[in-house]
Amino acid sequence: MNTATGSRKLTIARAMAEATAQEMRQDPSVFVMGEDVGPLGGVFGNTRGLHEEFGAERVRDTPISETAFIGAAVGAASDGMRPIVELMFVDFFGVCMDAIYNMMAKNTYFSGGKVKVPMVLMTSTGGGYSDGGQHSQCLYGTFAHLPGMKVVVPSNAYDAKGLMTAAIRDDNPVVFMYHKSLQGMGWLGTEKGATVATPEESYTVEIGKASVVKEGGDLTLVSLGAGVHHCLRAAKALGEEGVEAEVVDLRSLVPLDRETVRASVAKTGRLIVVDEDYHSYGVSGEIIASVVEHDTSCLKASPRRVAYPDIPIPFAPTMEQWALPNADKIVDTYHQMMGQ
Amino acid sequence: MSTAITVPEDLWEGDNEGVITAWLVDDGSQVKQGDLVAEVMVEKAQYEIEAPASGVLTIAKQEDEVVAKGTSIASLET
Repeated sequence: MNTATGSRKLTIARAMAEATAQEMRQDPSVFVMGEDVGPLGGVFGNTRGLHEEFGAERVRDTPISETAFIGAAVGAASDGMRPIVELMFVDFFGVCMDAIYNMMAKNTYFSGGKVKVPMVLMTSTGGGYSDGGQHSQCLYGTFAHLPGMKVVVPSNAYDAKGLMTAAIRDDNPVVFMYHKSLQGMGWLGTEKGATVATPEESYTVEIGKASVVKEGGDLTLVSLGAGVHHCLRAAKALGEEGVEAEVVDLRSLVPLDRETVRASVAKTGRLIVVDEDYHSYGVSGEIIASVVEHDTSCLKASPRRVAYPDIPIPFAPTMEQWALPNADKIVDTYHQMMGQ
Repeated sequence: MSTAITVPEDLWEGDNEGVITAWLVDDGSQVKQGDLVAEVMVEKAQYEIEAPASGVLTIAKQEDEVVAKGTSIASLET
């Protein structure tokens, strides 16, 4: 299906599917496995069109047995294939974590570098659409904490396509965490800022490079995934008060681009980290530590964070919305930082 | 000449309303006949809207707006 020439935009769901299709066309070792990735096209739309083009041999629907099919993907990757395997909700990592972090993440190390595991584990994150505490988590920190695998989190379709292409071509295992509210799937929330101009030709976005998506000299806002869009809205509101916020989109958690974060805070002297993952022991703490263990002389105020409270995610829509990060909370946190 | 982009009567089964979930081209862009321009969601299923003609797009219904079969969601100026 052609989308419009010139100013063509894609949703993240379409961008992921397009990157996957382009790699499958030029590399016969790339194949896809997961629950409902076949004729349905993925519950979150990111494998649409693949089964039709490549057939059931290369786009394989699996039973609900993550241990089996993620373990099978590790075996296939170790033997020369490039599997893309989907864990439908990251929340269900518990049933297959041995395959992920003892096999996928460590086989290269255990074999003294003799075995490569070039696979992509894609998995949905995030809430906001009232799907309860076992379908709404981000768990960015959980995966980024464990050595041996790269972890990427796109905030828009351009980065999603480039990061997916880079992930498929990478000889290391890459966990590709996509936020459900950015997929362009309506019932999961609509974030217009994620649907952006995306080239048809294949390209990569380097894994491990953050992006300064808005420049400013008064305050650094660091986030990832859906949080980037909250930050951009907060930056706009702060701009109306005459405060120029810089917004850093991490894009990659492993490797983590600490240099871009440090350079921004060195310029602004103020840091707020926005993370939809749980407050404690997560990305927000790691970002703040990365700054303060490097240099505290640049800081004009103690760094702050706007993160998910350390509670199971509520099902009730009003309670869930109360707990989620948003632009108002970011603006309020800045005012508290300034003693206003 | 102006051509309306309407939600096709046969796009989905039944008379349920849908919601525009994404415009895949910017307002004011030039599009070609057959280009995929928008997505509409009906009960968690997504449907594609193609341009019925070539022309410059003027969007009438934005993301998150409710549409029914036959609703005019945009026009194309040729």
